[in-house]
Amino acid sequence: MSKRLPKAQQLSSSNWVGKASAGAIAGYFLAIAICGIFSRFGPLEVGGFSAQAQINMWLVAPLWAVILSFCFMFRNGVRAWAWLGGANVVLWGILLLSRFVIG
Amino acid sequence: MKIRSDIVRMYRDIHSWVGIVCGLGLFIAFYAGAITMFEGPLNRWASEPRLFAEHTPLEKTPELVEKVLAEYPQVADRYEITLDAGLVDRPARVMWNVGPRGAATTYYAELAEDGSLQVHTEGPSAAGQLVDDIHQQVGILLDHDIAMPIVGIVSLMYFIALVSGVIVLLPTLIKDLFILRIGKNLKRMWLDFHNALGLFSLPFHIIMALTAVVFAFHDLFYISQWTLLEKNGRPEVHEEVHEHREILAPQQIVARLEEQAPGFIPLYMQFHYEEDHGMELLVSGNNPRHGTRAPNYGIAAVDPYTGDLTVTDYMPGEQNGWSATLTSFFSLHFGNFGGSPVRWLYFLLGLAGAVLFYTGNLLWIETHRKKRRKGYEHLEVKQTGGSKFLGALTVGISFGCIAGISATIASAKALPLWTEAVATWHTGIYYAVFFLACAWAFYRGAAKGAVDLLYASALATLLIPAASVLSAIVPGFGWNHGGSTYLIDIVAIVGAGCFVFLARKTLKRIHSAPEDSIWYVGKVVPEASQPHPQQVAENASGA
Repeated sequence: MSKRLPKAQQLSSSNWVGKASAGAIAGYFLAIAICGIFSRFGPLEVGGFSAQAQINMWLVAPLWAVILSFCFMFRNGVRAWAWLGGANVVLWGILLLSRFVIG
Repeated sequence: MKIRSDIVRMYRDIHSWVGIVCGLGLFIAFYAGAITMFEGPLNRWASEPRLFAEHTPLEKTPELVEKVLAEYPQVADRYEITLDAGLVDRPARVMWNVGPRGAATTYYAELAEDGSLQVHTEGPSAAGQLVDDIHQQVGILLDHDIAMPIVGIVSLMYFIALVSGVIVLLPTLIKDLFILRIGKNLKRMWLDFHNALGLFSLPFHIIMALTAVVFAFHDLFYISQWTLLEKNGRPEVHEEVHEHREILAPQQIVARLEEQAPGFIPLYMQFHYEEDHGMELLVSGNNPRHGTRAPNYGIAAVDPYTGDLTVTDYMPGEQNGWSATLTSFFSLHFGNFGGSPVRWLYFLLGLAGAVLFYTGNLLWIETHRKKRRKGYEHLEVKQTGGSKFLGALTVGISFGCIAGISATIASAKALPLWTEAVATWHTGIYYAVFFLACAWAFYRGAAKGAVDLLYASALATLLIPAASVLSAIVPGFGWNHGGSTYLIDIVAIVGAGCFVFLARKTLKRIHSAPEDSIWYVGKVVPEASQPHPQQVAENASGA
């Protein structure tokens, strides 16, 4: 950690557009997917206005905000989109699969 | 704590930029939000005394409702009964709305001494609601649908600013936290102050940022979840149809509530008729031991035919764990738990937040200049046009908001003298003062503008107690309610004192600032602040 990283590996705010857009768009769908996991496999709900459904809606805010705050830790926009996009594919895949397998 | 220097540098850039973009909106939201903590006393201060000396007694309310329904049959679908006589925003026993939601006219009805029906449409002051709207829409009083996405984006950036600010501070946290370096380096002192303020109020700011994101985007979040995710929620249950039965009198319902939920203090009742379910009733009220979902009350659904509690999801003190958790999110934003001490705490934290954003902006300007100087130390580095613009904008918007809110509140006692359209005047006065202040800041520059506008803010704020004094001595002008409304006058006097103090400090500062600071106006030391050992020390600790 004490050794200085080569310039190419250092993080910078100059390439923020790609990283921030990944956090905003891919991050949003990722947050929704995580809420889907909580309602599919956990105690939360979707649809209606039960307390569990409302809490599930509230959950989007911290998830999205945290992803947006830390998406700058990816080295560049392409990596950010790849990782966040990949996470989306995995989670939405699980949700879709569970619909067919578990029903 | 060790963090790679490139990460710290990156987050410092991010912190500066999100801060600069959303800081001014947040200043308005926090300053106005702090004032909404006392919306109740404020509304009372600003509202004309009730037209009716006293409420119709509760036991006579069925007679009042009957007479209202005889004259206005359409009201049977939806009307409200006030239970607590002290509610400023509900100045009559029976109330109902006519017209579209948001632009409806509210009717107020009471029984006169002789038992005849009295109806009027004069409601409480619009000043409190205006301050609330300014808070909710960060001063952008456009249509709600246009303003809210902007508020949501500002809130998200606010959260990013919090995270990035903490990351920047972490490596030097132990060293910097308990230090306030008062001395020659004013920028260092302001930075220490900004850091300490931000870190110690961090939990409050995280709550505000996340709840504000939800308040702005809840429709988007719901629609996304409903369309993208599989629904597994429980459908709403309604009671079966009650036919040919009479609803209970308000007094009986209050008694039944007392039986079932002794700690609950009912404030008002909302009746509405549903084609399939008959009459439905929501009772709003609070419980001093619990936070509530709305700023000042929670809601219980009651069967109006039997007085039984049907839904207690939003009823303070009667909620299950899920609902109580949900309510806590709202309660933490509104500060409606813990009574007056928490309200004062939120008031102070709100003001501290406003100071945080103001100092943040000014720090950015100074840092921006220093950064550009790197490598060009032998040359004079002047402020860029952009920095000057931002300096003037910061000063204009901040003090424009303060002076505008003060002026519009102060006008509440005078407006009824010449106009019926009180709400429009309140909005007009706020924006006139706000834009005037912005124009003045650009005309005079940040430094001189700040001094002028601080004095203007003090003056506008002093108009509030002045209106009360005038009401006491000039017959026919205004009113005074006494009690907690004097709080408004006292806080205004204290506030005005603070603005005068800051104005004097700023005046000294602008004559002693380095030549290339945005505060620099010239080396002429004003008469009042001839170098005097004690004052020199004060100078250093000033703005």
